[in-house]
Order: sequence, then C-alpha cells, then structure tokens
Amino acid sequence: MPLKNSATRWGSVSMGLHWLVVALILLMAWIGLRMGGMPNGPDKIATYALHKSVGISILALAVLRLAWRAVAGAPGHVAGTPAWQARVATLAHLGLYALLLAIPLSGWVVNSSAGFPLQWFGLFNLPAIAGKDQGLHALAEQVHEWLFWTLVLVAVAHAAAAIHHHLFLRDDTLARMLPRGWLRVADKETPDA
Amino acid sequence: MRKTLLLPLALACAPVLAADYVQQPGSTLAFAGKYQGEVFTGRFPAFTTRLAFDPARLDAARLDVAIPLAGATTGNADYDGELLGASFFDVAKFPQARFTATRFRALGGNRYAADGSLSLRGTSKPVTLEFTWTPGARPVLAGKATVSRLAFGVGGGDWADTALIPDAIAISTRVVFAPGK
Repeated sequence: MPLKNSATRWGSVSMGLHWLVVALILLMAWIGLRMGGMPNGPDKIATYALHKSVGISILALAVLRLAWRAVAGAPGHVAGTPAWQARVATLAHLGLYALLLAIPLSGWVVNSSAGFPLQWFGLFNLPAIAGKDQGLHALAEQVHEWLFWTLVLVAVAHAAAAIHHHLFLRDDTLARMLPRGWLRVADKETPDA
Repeated sequence: MRKTLLLPLALACAPVLAADYVQQPGSTLAFAGKYQGEVFTGRFPAFTTRLAFDPARLDAARLDVAIPLAGATTGNADYDGELLGASFFDVAKFPQARFTATRFRALGGNRYAADGSLSLRGTSKPVTLEFTWTPGARPVLAGKATVSRLAFGVGGGDWADTALIPDAIAISTRVVFAPGK
C-alpha cells in the first residue's frame, strides 16, 4: 500500500491517521461524558489526565494530518459526484479539521483558565495558553462542549454520507479510506494504480 | 541593700536570656509542592511566631510558631477544597499546626539551623529549619525547611501516589521581628 495519497485513493499514512483519530474521538467522547460526574479524588484526576493527554494527542495528530495532506495531497471527489455534493463534502471536511483543532484547543483553555497543570501521559508538561480566570473557564467549558456536539453532528453526517456512497451509490468513497480488499465495491473494482 | 544585689541576679537568671521577639506585619510562611509535574505554592496567612534569639547565646534560643490551617490557601479554589479537607490537612479535626525548636546550631556567617518538632495532623516529627538572621531594630529571619507530607499523613491513602504529588513539600518563611514586651 503506498504511503502517499493518489488521485483516487488515500495512502496508508492518511488512512492510519484518519482511523486512529476516529478511535481516539470515540474514546474521548466516552471518557469526557462520564468524567464530570466522578467523585473528587485521584481516580477523577487520573481520568481527567487521560482525557487531557488524549486530547493533546488528537491536536498533534490533526496538525500532522494537515501537514501530511499538504505534502501528499488528497484524492479528488469520486467521479460522477454532483457539484453540490462535492461542495458539501469539502465543507464538512474543512469543518472536521477545524473542529479537530478547536476542540482540543478549547479544552486547553478550560484547563489553563482553571489553573491546572497540563501533563502529557505523565511525561512532560505543556504551558498554559490562558491566564487563570473563572469567567473564561466557564465560557471555555461551554464552548468545548458545544464544539463537541457540533463534531458529533458533522461526523455522523460525514460517516452517513460515506456509508450511503458505499451501499447505495456503490462507489469507492468509503473503500478508498480502507486498505484494499477490506470493502468490496460492487461491480466497480478500481483498477490498480 | 538586698534588692540591689538581687536585681542584677534576677536579670541574669531571667527565663529568657536571649532577646525576645514577636512577629511583625509583612511576615510570610509559604509552602510549595508539585502536582502533575507543576509547582504550586501556598501560604499560611494566620501564622504567628515568637522567638528568643541571640547569636551569642544559642543555647537559650527558642522558636515557637503557631500555624492555624483553616486559612491556608494555594490561590486555587479546587486545590484549597482538597487541601483543607479530610484527606489533607483535615482542619475540622486538626485546626492548627505548630513548630517548636529549642536546639539551635550555628552554620557559619549569619546562617543557623533550628532542630525542632513539627506537630501536624496529630503527628509530631523532627523538622529542621535553616535560616539566616539579619539583626537590626527589625531583625529578619529568612528560613527554609523540607517537610515530608506523607510522614504526617497529609494526602495519604489514595493520594499517597508521589508521581501525582511528590512527598517533599518545601517550606519557606520570612519573619520580621520587633522586640517583644
């Protein structure tokens, strides 16, 4: 499997990053939605620390994805995609990238404005990106949560569109984000590059 | 006649031979530790110090510091809630800490060490305060000590993980004195 992206397929780096981030987002949603209700104590601290560490990882991976995309390019829309769909898809992708940056950054502001340390898996500390400020803290918490629910909406639409393309339009949209052979695209095997 | 003889004797034998001092405004008692790899600092605003000290008469020196804990603060409300709660200082049960020292050593120059005892959270353990002494009309004691929080059960149990909060807590103080009455 080529590392780089071609005009018709995602390469292994983009694919790996895409699915890794998907897995991390699911993990984060699960942790993030549960941790607020935990009783204060070391367990809660450890859970928050994990949430922060994974969040910083997602931020770094998002930057990496954008950098790689700039280097390796991206496949075009599958042939035959109506222009309006292509535009909506592009907009959704832009939104997803923006959210992958904005959600961790807003979480970072939540943490900094509360005056808490930010440690990545106990290995090193990152600086505060905002001063200690209760008002900012409350605002950032709301923004963080709303951005998350926005991500849920856009990501579900994104996934639904991919599945729709696969099941009903029977094109390569979903299959080209997976290793060759994982998904069979009925009737239309893409020729090897 | 007897009086004139007794007075110098009485003075010489007065219980505190070294100069007696009481704490003045502008004095600070602070603590610092680490949490998740980041230093936090706090203060004990209500502490009061009494000191008998004369560099020439260390054997008569005596230090007594009362540290009410209820007002201890890190400046972070989330930390303070835990700090004063049952897991750390447990101020409801142990409202005050106290450091007393009667053994003083000269370390050279204006540096001294006071080998004393800290009572905290129902436990008493030896703690050494190293300090510099700046004499004058308003003499200043500037000192440092290291306290093992776990030796006093401060943040024991689930909080004993030293990867989260290391055991060593640095204490620093600067006390401005005036002669006591």
